[in-house]
Amino acid sequence: MDTSNPAVFVNGGLLRMYVGRRVRAVIQAIQPDAAGVAGKSTDDHQLVVKGSPPPFRLTNFVEVIGIADTDRSIRAEMWTNFGDTFDTQNYNQLCQLANGEFKHLFV
Amino acid sequence: MAPTVTPDAISTILSNPSPDSSSDLPQIVVQVLDLKLTGNRYMFNASDGKMSVRAILPSNLSSEVISGNIQNKGLIRIMDYALNEIPTKSEKYLIVTKCEVVSPALEMEIKAEVKSEAEGAESKQQQYENKSEGPGFVFKTKQDMVAKSAAQIVHEQRNMAPAARMAMTRRVHPLVSLNPYQGNWTIKVRVTSKGNMRTYKNARGEGCVFNVELTDEDGTQIQATMFNDAAKKFYERFQLGKVYYISKGTLRVANKQFKTVQNDYEMNLNENSEVEEASNEAAFIPETKFNFVHIDELGPYVNGTELVDIIGVVQNVSPTMSIRRKSNNEMVPKRDITVADDTKKTVVVSLWNELATAVGQELLDNADNYPIVAIKSLKVGDFQGISLSTLGRSTVLINPDVPEAKKLRSWYESEGKGTSMVSIASGLSPIAKGGSRSMYSDRVSLLHITSNPSLGEEKPAWFSIRAFISLIKPDQTMWYRACKTCNKKVTDGMGSGYWCEGCQKNDEECSLRYIMVVRVCDESGEAWISLFNNEAEMIIGCSADELDKYKSQEGEENLFQLKLKEATWAPHLFRVSVTQNEYNNEKRQRITVRGVAPVDFAAESKFLLEEISKKVSQ
Repeated sequence: MDTSNPAVFVNGGLLRMYVGRRVRAVIQAIQPDAAGVAGKSTDDHQLVVKGSPPPFRLTNFVEVIGIADTDRSIRAEMWTNFGDTFDTQNYNQLCQLANGEFKHLFV
Repeated sequence: MAPTVTPDAISTILSNPSPDSSSDLPQIVVQVLDLKLTGNRYMFNASDGKMSVRAILPSNLSSEVISGNIQNKGLIRIMDYALNEIPTKSEKYLIVTKCEVVSPALEMEIKAEVKSEAEGAESKQQQYENKSEGPGFVFKTKQDMVAKSAAQIVHEQRNMAPAARMAMTRRVHPLVSLNPYQGNWTIKVRVTSKGNMRTYKNARGEGCVFNVELTDEDGTQIQATMFNDAAKKFYERFQLGKVYYISKGTLRVANKQFKTVQNDYEMNLNENSEVEEASNEAAFIPETKFNFVHIDELGPYVNGTELVDIIGVVQNVSPTMSIRRKSNNEMVPKRDITVADDTKKTVVVSLWNELATAVGQELLDNADNYPIVAIKSLKVGDFQGISLSTLGRSTVLINPDVPEAKKLRSWYESEGKGTSMVSIASGLSPIAKGGSRSMYSDRVSLLHITSNPSLGEEKPAWFSIRAFISLIKPDQTMWYRACKTCNKKVTDGMGSGYWCEGCQKNDEECSLRYIMVVRVCDESGEAWISLFNNEAEMIIGCSADELDKYKSQEGEENLFQLKLKEATWAPHLFRVSVTQNEYNNEKRQRITVRGVAPVDFAAESKFLLEEISKKVSQ
């Protein structure tokens, strides 16, 4: 497992802290448009995921790993389908813990 | 003519204190009253209806009393006697050296017909007071009062209507007013539970005992116990559901360990206690009070001490089985009935002893009519998920006249008959949404269980665990041959087929049911757990019969190994009970799976987050 460039668990609110850094986030894909895939983060922020979308059909929830472009967008390198049901609250809490008191365990 | 006392028998005795044994004694028949054991001899009052004298039976005649030949209120013919005087007191007492029994206990004490009914209590009181001056007859004041009322009743009984005289002459005390320091009471109660006669042996000897639960008009209950002679005397007299007047019992503080009713006191009745049936009192006391629990609400009672009452429609009655009792190797009859209620769940109730034979037979005969059965005081166990068992004090009513029964009957006729019901036992395996909540109660790590060898010492300890199956040994005995009817182990039958000891029948076929141990692990450690059929099926994903087929298949792709492999490293939520077993004089912890559920990751994550925040805030 390549641990040289870990991706930080982020939600919408945390994204701005890691602009230019590698991040991962689960978003609820709303629709693909010209710019990329628009989606809702687990804390209800509107995010845009740029980059070429994957060849397979996207499920409701998708995890994207990539570089944070702006505080509203991620340039995706990897897309993973997370299915149609997902507990966003759990993920959100994870993001907070991973960036809060347990940051040392993650990055 | 009915046997009776010899008139003036006592006078005859008094006038001839030391008869010559060779001479012919006149006929002397007396009634034995107030018979009681004093020291090691029996004493009584010998009465001829007019007078009475204190009497003693020498120890060689004690056996006549013990065997029940000489009874209180019975008649004896005195063949040889001696009348002695106690020097310090001017009392005479009679030693009956030889006698023969004329009659067993009479209905009442014989009183000479000297006064007419018209006379009131006063004259009767005088009559008694006169008697007290007679030789050797000493009254204590307490007895005086009670005897008076008894005399009143006896005389008044001769001309008054039953109901009126009962109400008038008896001052009935409410059960709640009884205490050990006031002995002068009469209560009017219904027998709401009757226990079986039990024999016991302890350091002081052997004996027999039984108890009854009594309920009075206010609903207060008390337990009454009788030993030995009193037990034999009252066992037949006390009948479940009947109403009695009881007096001359003793009260003492109840032993909390054995308490079954809500009362600080418990009652003891001896042979001097009085128990009289009250007739025409059907409307008096409410019938057996039931507190029904719906079948789908039985979960929390499993393995608890609280007894439950249930009511339901009988779906199935098994034949009588004979179970060997481990404690004394006795064979005990048992019958299982399946009962359903309007929660659309069924449960198996085990009837024991007389309930299995008598009541069980009645249910079987009526089975086609799907009778309603109401059972009080059931113990809730966890055999096969959940099991209800009758105790000595359980009561079974068939088609009782209670509103719940009517409700059940109409539900059954309209919907119930056609609905397919689910056994509550399988329902307790928490796959249902409601059930999965229980997978988060008592959640522990495997280490918590394995590091504590005293868990489950007294009664099973229950936990929820989340673990991965780490090993299923392919070469263990994974199943047993089971009876298709009752799921018990079968042995090779006579000739071909299989014999089921419980059902007492031979069957050509049997089914295979899982019984295995698997190793599981979680982040804290690992442990071996036992699995029975239902849960094992869920883990392996096929029945034991199917797996057996795969095992014996030839070929490259061995489905048997594949199934086991697929089951390994799968995470599950388990509900387990931990007990202690003795094995070669060693105490071993045994973890048995009682329920299994798939891991709900969202719920599990939530749970973990909560645990984290709990730890953080500590």
